[in-house]
Amino acid sequence: MERVIDFLRYRWIAIGLSFAVITLFAVTTYMRGGFAWGIDFIGGVKLTVQFDGRTDPGDVRKELEKHGIKADVQQYGREELNEFIVSSKLLERGESSEKSAETIKSSLDAAFPKIKILATETVGPAVGDFLKKSAVKLMLIAVALMGLYLAFRFELKYSAGVMVAVVHDVVMAFLFCGFMGVEINVPIVAAILTIFGYSVNDTIVIFDRVRENLTIHAKSAFGQILNISVTQTLARTFITSLTVLFCVLSLYVIGEGTISDFALVMLAGLISGTYSTIYIAAPVVLWWHKARGE
Amino acid sequence: MTRGMIYKAMFIMAILVFAVLLILPTVGKREMSVIFEKDATTEQIADLEKHFASSGLLVVRSDAGFSVSGYGINDAVMNEVKIIPGVKEVRIIPHWSEKALLAKKMNLGLDLQGGMNLVMRADFESIEHKQDKKLTDSEKMDITQQALELLRNRIDKFGVSEPSIRPRGAEAIEIQLPGVKDPMSVKKAIGTTGRVEYRLVDDEYTRLAGQWLAGNIQRFKDGKIPENPEEQYTILNEAAKAIGLPARSELLFFYERDENTKKILPSYPIALEKEVALAGNDISKAWVGHDEYGRLSVHFTTTPDGASKFATVTSTKNHGRKLAIIIDEKVRSAPQVNVQITTGQALIQGDFTLEEVNTLARIIKEGALPVNLVIIEERTVGPSLGQDAIDAGIKATILAFSVVMIFMVAYYKLSGFIASIGLILNIICQLALLSWLGFTLTLPGIAGFILTLGMAVDSNVLIYERIREEQRSGKSPRIAVVNGFDRAFWAIVDSNITTLIAAFVLSQFGTGPIKGFAVTLSIGLISSLFVVLYVTRYVFEILSLSKNLKKLSV
Repeated sequence: MERVIDFLRYRWIAIGLSFAVITLFAVTTYMRGGFAWGIDFIGGVKLTVQFDGRTDPGDVRKELEKHGIKADVQQYGREELNEFIVSSKLLERGESSEKSAETIKSSLDAAFPKIKILATETVGPAVGDFLKKSAVKLMLIAVALMGLYLAFRFELKYSAGVMVAVVHDVVMAFLFCGFMGVEINVPIVAAILTIFGYSVNDTIVIFDRVRENLTIHAKSAFGQILNISVTQTLARTFITSLTVLFCVLSLYVIGEGTISDFALVMLAGLISGTYSTIYIAAPVVLWWHKARGE
Repeated sequence: MTRGMIYKAMFIMAILVFAVLLILPTVGKREMSVIFEKDATTEQIADLEKHFASSGLLVVRSDAGFSVSGYGINDAVMNEVKIIPGVKEVRIIPHWSEKALLAKKMNLGLDLQGGMNLVMRADFESIEHKQDKKLTDSEKMDITQQALELLRNRIDKFGVSEPSIRPRGAEAIEIQLPGVKDPMSVKKAIGTTGRVEYRLVDDEYTRLAGQWLAGNIQRFKDGKIPENPEEQYTILNEAAKAIGLPARSELLFFYERDENTKKILPSYPIALEKEVALAGNDISKAWVGHDEYGRLSVHFTTTPDGASKFATVTSTKNHGRKLAIIIDEKVRSAPQVNVQITTGQALIQGDFTLEEVNTLARIIKEGALPVNLVIIEERTVGPSLGQDAIDAGIKATILAFSVVMIFMVAYYKLSGFIASIGLILNIICQLALLSWLGFTLTLPGIAGFILTLGMAVDSNVLIYERIREEQRSGKSPRIAVVNGFDRAFWAIVDSNITTLIAAFVLSQFGTGPIKGFAVTLSIGLISSLFVVLYVTRYVFEILSLSKNLKKLSV
């Protein structure tokens, strides 16, 4: 038998660390004034504008303020392209996003020569509500389906371990958005659901091994079997995380705007997912096992 | 090698060849035929030729136009060319494998090829205000269906090919128009309400106009009535002169819905009196019911004002004549008048299918209760931005693929190389499946694709780690391979199914781009299962057959 790393010995430290990070993220999010909901969810306008020559985003912001529009202006793409994303959220309900898009276009047109509107997005508040509701509904459906499948394939305690780890990762990824001030749009929800799938995937492999080891090392203590299984699958956990990491990094480095935000959140989820596989899922199973006196 | 192994090799080769053929319509050379206007100037033609040459396309001149071939010809390119002065018609010629293998080309989403995406919703509030009552959910659904019909009726006005109009949820409608240049005019045209009117049909002149068209149909493109309103107008004018149509009448086209494309297409000319017998708002209600023979029919009631007009139209002198129902200058139905109706309650009988009566009822309702459409979501992407996104997507794919491949080879040596070949096969299979499904590739779709590159090798990793363990415990390569694959099997299946569950849930998330992400993710996982569990296993089985092999390099 090879060396077995006693992962479970550090479980309290790990859980403390998780709580500390979650608290840090939550407090920062709170201090930032809550989550930055994107226009997909609260409605608003987003224009991609190309200016003729160097333009300072501050000037654009000021110009729009003159017309009573509070807008975010961000550089997009390479600097020499002079492309900016101008976005404005709907603050008062009932204000038509159509109308504010027109106002932004015309006031920019008047103040800056030869601008080109490359892309327009306007989302009404009704759409945002619809999306929010379906996002929450889908998260719940995903949890239910996953729980069902795991309960079918594994014992309940493993299913519980997976679910706690997954909730940990989803909360982590979500709060990470708040911590970094990443705007939460539809692609971010997609990233979080992908993290959800990935995190389960990662954990299942370990539990699959536990199930196998239960017959091989029938005499060992349950905690020891967990340690053996985590150790045996450790190489796989890291290598797979690495290959996925390479892909996410490629997206982050080359992608722009929403795609790079998507990659950033995936990155956070990936780290959290790998960590929770070892330090959250396994201890939960152990506790469940002990509590039931098995 | 056993006979079974040779069959397996042939099977794998066949699948590969098939997959490559399926991708051809998407990435291969395409051909597009461009036909000039009869009065196109040489200058316009020269400009056009330059336009294509500058995009690296091969142009072959023929009598009536160009045949353009090369890479990157898509709907947006076609729509762009369509509006260049001097161009009469543009068509992308189907790739041969599209016909032979039912392959489809992978479409680019609007975020990649540029275009306009609108989500609209009927203005329920103003209807509620007008009727002074809350609308029930089923009434809202009904109104949405009615608006959908109206939109299908007028969407071809924009001269956009491959438009897509579909309901989103119960209350909204999503419209996608690739390559649209002038979003404002589209919005204006879509936003207005439809005009419905009822006019008497002149049967004799309808017959004459039909004959004239039958004699002249060969002159039109493909022997079909053109869809462009201006061309139609010219044709109808010519026909009216030829058959000596009196001034009190005019010719319009009768439109029918094509079952396959759901598009509404002109089918024959019909002569109508210019005088409007009944206006759309003379009808107060319309619904689908049954007649005394139990056949499907459309029932309607008129307003008190409409009742007297209706009594006049249906008086004895008009019995046997037809009353056309016209929406936005398109004749959509022409039932026969058989009895005088003075009560303001009537029904339209015929051998209708359920879909036909529903459509008819919706059209009548549109006249009775015009629906205003409000745009609740709009996304317009210029073509240059789309091209940037494609370039970034390709770059990110190549980067991700190379890094994963280098890592696998560095870590697993020969086995890593096999995994990399597997990854290439996986990409080919994935593209083939997406093409076969006629999938619309979006930016999030590319992200999903890239992500699966990383996740696909997971199965390899699981197996390789197992084979390593087996070898460490002193098993021969042959046993190690068999055990490695068998013991990793359930871990691979379980972990892929859970990711597929997440992807399935994502695909239910209303918006298009996310659906694209979920589909690429799912397809990537499925094709990786095939490649790893079948193809890679086969390669390893062959390798481990060799007697000289003491240890597999894993």
